[in-house]
Amino acid sequence: MRVAVVGKGGSGKTTTSAILARSLARGGARVVALDCDTNPNLGISLGVGDEETERLVVMREALDEGESEHAPSWDSLIDRFGTDAPDGVRLAVVSRIEDPEPG
Amino acid sequence: MRVAFVGKGGAGKSAIAGTFARLLARAGGPVLAIDSDPMPGLAHSLGVEVTDAPIPDDAVTERREGEEGPRFRLREGLTPVEAVERYAVRGPDGVRFLQFGKLRGPAWALAGSQFAFREIVAGLPDDGWSLVGDLPGGTRQAFFGWGSYARTVLVVVEPTAKSLLSARRLARLALGERPPERVVALANKIRGPADVDLVARRSGLDVVGAVPWDEALAEAERQGLPPVDAAPDSAAVAAVVSLLERLNEEQTR
Repeated sequence: MRVAVVGKGGSGKTTTSAILARSLARGGARVVALDCDTNPNLGISLGVGDEETERLVVMREALDEGESEHAPSWDSLIDRFGTDAPDGVRLAVVSRIEDPEPG
Repeated sequence: MRVAFVGKGGAGKSAIAGTFARLLARAGGPVLAIDSDPMPGLAHSLGVEVTDAPIPDDAVTERREGEEGPRFRLREGLTPVEAVERYAVRGPDGVRFLQFGKLRGPAWALAGSQFAFREIVAGLPDDGWSLVGDLPGGTRQAFFGWGSYARTVLVVVEPTAKSLLSARRLARLALGERPPERVVALANKIRGPADVDLVARRSGLDVVGAVPWDEALAEAERQGLPPVDAAPDSAAVAAVVSLLERLNEEQTR
């Protein structure tokens, strides 16, 4: 299953995504949760906490600034830029944080 | 007065910014309400009929090949003040509303309108116009200078972990190269003193006001009506009145 959750700010995308991801994982699926928001908060709703959520953002920024090498494959991206969330969900922040276009 | 409202999506920026702009306009003096969200929503809270009002392409001239400088400029002879007179939509209480269009297709379709928008806002003279900005949810636009017209950046914060984390990120606006005079928090959807405490402790910002959770305001939002018209006697609108009074006082001091 591959789903994307979209909508207006504050409508509950992050909360819905986190519940979906954790529920799928509890049902036995291998789940990767991708935070594609430029203001990434999914870690909080998944239950990894503030600090770990911020650590993923800092790692993602290091990649954009060229201080960190890009992962050569999808699997290693999830491996290097992700973290383990409860119920076996793997969380990665994949949004490009720096982008001067509005919105 | 020059303020911009920022914060996590859904924190209540538009409802508060629209109310603030209308109240400021009633006090006299020209007020420009600025919506820089490509999915604009401020018009509902202001009571302006149109939600998006792209600035026509002939407001700008495009750089010719080989020329230096930015890709677009305001058309020769068009000053920012004249551009506001011409392109900013008129709203209730004399408020004016500036927006650059809604993102319906590819982003480049709005490029001319966006350049005009930024030049107008950046070029308005310091005296005269008050500016009240409503930025899109999140951190990105704020960090790219889209609120740089504001002397006071108000971070709207709900008492939730996600909203507080966004506020701590936005607090770093004060550390930028050309920071606003101040970055402060406005607590919103407050249900008790503990909520204000939480925002004060965990937003990393001074709290300049607290807007209570308010069912009358929620109903106005459901119907897409401006809180100042649909819920004039609500506690939430009263809190925005207090905020405006406080900022006015601090400015004259």
